[in-house]
Amino acid sequence: MTQEITIALAQIASRVADKEYNIKLMEKKIKEASQKDADLIVFPELALTGYLCRDLVYELAEPLSEGLSFQRIAKIAKRESVHVAFGMIERSEKVSAVIYNTSVLVGPSGFVGKYRKMHLPTHSVFEEKRYFRPGYETPVFKTSLGKVGMIICYDVYFPELTRILKLKGAQLIICISASPSTRRVFFEALTVARAMENTVFLAFTNLVGIEDGLQFWGGSRLVAPSGNVVAQAKYDEEDLILAKINYADMKRIEAFVPTLRDLRPEFYDEMKREAQDL
Amino acid sequence: MKLTEDAMKIDAEQTVTRIKRFIKDYVEKTKTKGICVAVSGGIDSCTTAALSALAIGGKRVTALYMPEEETYSPIEAKHAKQVADKFKFKLETIDITPIFQAFCKVLPIYDEHDKLSRGNLKARTRMICLYYYANRLGKIVCGSSDKSETMMGYFTKWGDVSADISPLMDLYKTQVRLVAAHIGIPKEIISKPSTPQLWPGQLAEQELGIKYETLDLILLGLENFMSVEEIAEQLQLETEFVKRIKNKWLASEHKRRPPLTLKQEFRTIGTDFRLPYTPSLTKQD
Repeated sequence: MTQEITIALAQIASRVADKEYNIKLMEKKIKEASQKDADLIVFPELALTGYLCRDLVYELAEPLSEGLSFQRIAKIAKRESVHVAFGMIERSEKVSAVIYNTSVLVGPSGFVGKYRKMHLPTHSVFEEKRYFRPGYETPVFKTSLGKVGMIICYDVYFPELTRILKLKGAQLIICISASPSTRRVFFEALTVARAMENTVFLAFTNLVGIEDGLQFWGGSRLVAPSGNVVAQAKYDEEDLILAKINYADMKRIEAFVPTLRDLRPEFYDEMKREAQDL
Repeated sequence: MKLTEDAMKIDAEQTVTRIKRFIKDYVEKTKTKGICVAVSGGIDSCTTAALSALAIGGKRVTALYMPEEETYSPIEAKHAKQVADKFKFKLETIDITPIFQAFCKVLPIYDEHDKLSRGNLKARTRMICLYYYANRLGKIVCGSSDKSETMMGYFTKWGDVSADISPLMDLYKTQVRLVAAHIGIPKEIISKPSTPQLWPGQLAEQELGIKYETLDLILLGLENFMSVEEIAEQLQLETEFVKRIKNKWLASEHKRRPPLTLKQEFRTIGTDFRLPYTPSLTKQD
């Protein structure tokens, strides 16, 4: 496994329900990042379709096995010999009306893995539970880029999830997002916290653009296990930023902030009991 | 949450940047030629027109000043022109008096003593002119309603509130004042008392029975799920008074909605037909 990799955060303004436009835009960004020697390019949550698709989600959803858009992105990744993480509306292979808010990871050899969003915001401007079924799995993928876990946007508010990924060995957590401007201050704090408390690298890519009056703030960032923000994209505008990470850095930080050593698993039973009885 | 002047503070620069981006983005996505906006000479409409000009350039903004003889004020006319000159947008004057009078003449049940219906007719006459311009010029209508007046239902249904976009609608009046000052709207426009100009001598704060500084804090409390009692205690107001404000807000909800229909079928307009507006994908002539 390589110790040092280059990550590109492709902060794009997807067009709602316009997959053709979005795929072309993603292809352009993948090429650009690949020419700058990126190993991994991370796109925002639901980059393939835009975020506020509302009832159009049913026609925009694609099963991974035969999804044409998914296959096109996988083909581009193969051609450019890079890994790509992006968000899409995934249709269940079994029941067509069951759909997921999914983060997909593809690489030079094709499909690597997927994560289905677990915490679906359904408050304020968000109505995800109306459309999506939550995910139930917390996979960590062993790749040539290292051990990679994925989370999506609102998941970052739930530290248990990133903790599980870390316990499963994740070195890099990809967090794809569609966070509106009013939430910026929370995400800036939470992305740093999730990286630091787990001593992992965290690659956060947020959407930009305005969808039905909702402005997404961008500000994509790569956070080191120390909590340092290694690279930060512009606010509110499309941007592509690249930065190198070196997993060797984790060793030093894991000793300096030994959160895994200091874990108290006995509290988790108590937390489970209390959470079930709110 | 503390209901103090500080709670109403905004980052004016950031707010202006976002509003300009919102206006520009919408005009681009709808592939329209620009913006039509009604300018009365008051703070909301002057600020909206100025922001539109800053967003897409004054040449693409058509502002209509639409006085009528009963409420005509040379000061308002001067203020409208002053802002148009400063922000370099086109200002056309349309005297709506003959249109309004024709309505009065034609309507069989017209009653000159019914002040409210008469006033609303003026606001709707202005809306008709504004949308004619927008249609004719291939532009969109930018509204200038603020959050305080919209929450209170202090507007004419299908009148002054009618628009394709309303960039100030999520800002309370006291916040609009901050934005106006930040972009350089003249002080005399910001500090003069607001008036909907539906009848002579009409003043917003007098009709609402409260200063905007206090009203905005009450509405901010309601927005943040605070109880009437909590708000009244913090602002040292009578509970009944705050309750009246809350009731005005709730009672005017019909003015802020699309028309209500009876649900009878699978998916219904206004309730569970939830669609994004995708003009760049679906633009038709």
